[in-house]
Amino acid sequence: MLDKIIKEYNEAIYDTDRDRALMVVHQAVEQGVSPEDVVFKVVLPALDLMVKAISENMDANLAQHFMTAQIADTVTAEMIAKFKKVPAVVGTVVIGTAQGDMHSLGKRIVIGCLKARMIDVTDLGVNVTPEHFVDEAVGRKAQVIGISAMMVHTARGENGSLAVRRLLQERGLEDKIRIIVGGAPFRFDDGLYRTVQADAWASDGVTASKVVADLVKEVRQ
Amino acid sequence: MITGMDRLVAAIKGEKSDRIPVFCNLIDQGPREMGLTPQEYYANGDYVAEAQLRMQARYGYDNVWSLFYVGKEAELLGCKKILYDKHGPPNVEEFVIKTYDDIDRLEVPTDLTQHPAFAEELKCLALLKREAGGKSPICAYISSSMTLPAMLMGMEKWMELLFFGPAEPREALLAKCHDFFVKEVKAYRDGGADVLVYSNPFGSTDTVPMKYFLEHSLPWIEKDIAAVGTAGMVYYCGMSSFNKVIDIVLARTGLGVYYLSPLDDIAEGKRIIAGRGLTCGVINDIRLIDWGRDEIRAEVKRMIEAGMPGGKFLFGTGVMPYDIPEANIRAMLEAAYEFGRYDDDK
Repeated sequence: MLDKIIKEYNEAIYDTDRDRALMVVHQAVEQGVSPEDVVFKVVLPALDLMVKAISENMDANLAQHFMTAQIADTVTAEMIAKFKKVPAVVGTVVIGTAQGDMHSLGKRIVIGCLKARMIDVTDLGVNVTPEHFVDEAVGRKAQVIGISAMMVHTARGENGSLAVRRLLQERGLEDKIRIIVGGAPFRFDDGLYRTVQADAWASDGVTASKVVADLVKEVRQ
Repeated sequence: MITGMDRLVAAIKGEKSDRIPVFCNLIDQGPREMGLTPQEYYANGDYVAEAQLRMQARYGYDNVWSLFYVGKEAELLGCKKILYDKHGPPNVEEFVIKTYDDIDRLEVPTDLTQHPAFAEELKCLALLKREAGGKSPICAYISSSMTLPAMLMGMEKWMELLFFGPAEPREALLAKCHDFFVKEVKAYRDGGADVLVYSNPFGSTDTVPMKYFLEHSLPWIEKDIAAVGTAGMVYYCGMSSFNKVIDIVLARTGLGVYYLSPLDDIAEGKRIIAGRGLTCGVINDIRLIDWGRDEIRAEVKRMIEAGMPGGKFLFGTGVMPYDIPEANIRAMLEAAYEFGRYDDDK
């Protein structure tokens, strides 16, 4: 039965059909599938499948990423409320757009996916100063800072990832906190994340959630 | 003397000139060129025009721009807060549409040319027309009906409304944006713009699935183009790739100029267009910040070799980032002039 549910859910995701995805999930619960299984055996594998599809250059687009994240976020929130016990948090992340950047779509996709991965994520909003990124990361004991930048000057500039790196160095936090960057300029220059001294990057929000989860594990080991 | 306009017209007709047309989009470099802060610079259309003319004269490329910054369209629709940065384009800081009720309140000016926010654009156009009209193609940037809402409410909220939201405000907003689009095209054409870059990331399958493109994006593209005609219009998806939709866009709209993405395969794009229009190959100009001269020359050569055979080809850039060193701008342009030259055997 679970195989059929997984198949139907994945098809709905690829068709960017939120209503159908929610219907599949609701029917599954009615048929006796536990909310825990819906999240860990249906929603999360669907996310990983999309990451795999993207890495294999299969057709995947911004709308699909956005819908995937929103559906994952909605289903996870609904299912967690029905869990027998509160799920363990895998890690903690703070995320925002670089100073001077008002583009919020990318981080929203990442946030939706991270929640489904049981990662506690705080949205710092747009136009975030480097100090705020680091202060919030320290205050929340985050393992990862996510910096989204849609413009070249905010991606490469002195007030983005470069400044966050400098602050982490000055405060001796580099072994405790990793930096991940994302946004259009990084897609057009896949070495740019090194130029801005980030630890990692991802070409899209869905993949970013997987990379963040890996970074969290790396810090916690 | 052969002008940029001569080169463009020849390329569109499939005829040879001295070389292929070369479009270089230096927008964010304007304040530096004039030695002004962005606020001072963008407050006066004469400065914007003067910077365009000076940079074109110095580098020798073929086009000039009447574009201030993309967020200017939002100002014409009520945006009051713009975030300036010395190193990049000004951004919309506060969105006009915060709730769906704001869509009802959104007013499209009856005549854009009478709007105070357009006055400086008209000054800019007038100066460009006086100094470069007929010699250099004057370019203007126009957001499609489906793209403009992103400037008014942010891409995140627009995608939410587009995919999950109620139909009534979505359709009302699209209708208002279409009305604005038609008026904006008229205002720019009347002001002297020759090339109208029709910007539409929703016309790319990088942004939406093909099914959505066919059912939703394409009808709005058809509606936009049918309302203003194809004269001077350029299909452009904001650096997103669109080779997959060229054939159907061409068949359904008759648009004759395609400004590809750096992510598109130029030779493939040209094969699809198949002589029915002008193919514009666009360099990945973000890489121009760090590339050396040899890498730049090799990339320009590769692009021109892919697109130039058979003619009807233009070499272009995206919106060149502020941080590209001047030497690299020169290296790119010199290579484009050299490899894009029409010798007898080309």
